[in-house]
Amino acid sequence: MKLSFAILLVFVGGATGAIARELLMLFVPTLSHGFPLDILVANVIASLLIGFSTARHNRKVTNDGWHLMVTTGIAGGLSTFSSFTYATSVLMKASMTGALVAAAYVLISLVMGYVAVIIGMRIGGMRMESSPHS
Amino acid sequence: MLVGLGGGVGSVLRWWIGRLVGERYKGHFPLGTFLINISGSLVIGYLSVLFNVDWDNRHGHGMVLNALVITGVLGGYTTFSSMQLDAARLAAGQHARLAAFYLLLSVAAGLLAALAGAALAGVQD
Repeated sequence: MKLSFAILLVFVGGATGAIARELLMLFVPTLSHGFPLDILVANVIASLLIGFSTARHNRKVTNDGWHLMVTTGIAGGLSTFSSFTYATSVLMKASMTGALVAAAYVLISLVMGYVAVIIGMRIGGMRMESSPHS
Repeated sequence: MLVGLGGGVGSVLRWWIGRLVGERYKGHFPLGTFLINISGSLVIGYLSVLFNVDWDNRHGHGMVLNALVITGVLGGYTTFSSMQLDAARLAAGQHARLAAFYLLLSVAAGLLAALAGAALAGVQD
């Protein structure tokens, strides 16, 4: 793959993922006590997608270019670590309740994100093409 | 549109830095993603205070810099999904302890970086 083509794939995927995250931020409400549900949803969906796409690529269902665009581009652009840590730091500093919400947010994000990767890999590892021999 | 532009630029930057680190460091620890996420956390803390972003009302002010740099570039640059994939791969490769250590260290260092960034911006006021 030419370098310029790889850069284009990552750029297009990253732009798509970031716009999807912006849409989630507009339409998913922040819960009471400032729980950042929008970023949690973006991160969990991206984790599901990266697991799915990686398993598909491992099975050689998808080629390198497609894999690069979906994982490094779309999943990477959709998920964010900086908003995750910054929102946590703001909550922590706000109040005692905020600190508890921050702790819950971190724990739920880590567990759900990890489980989402595993589930994505399981789904991506399944044969989806209907085969007459199976 | 600004978010897309920023997200594309941030993603390419992440990919490029990840490659540079990957060429130089061959250990098990996912150093590239770690460095990217921690540096992104530092910058978001710094710029959020500098731009005076109200975190509960990110959309009310329509700030161009907020959309382009914070949601776009920094959001695209840092990644949560790659971190989780790294951890799942480590765990699958009999490095479950390193995976847990990596996740906890990322969160702790990222939090400290965000706080440090915000403190740095506050000092300048």
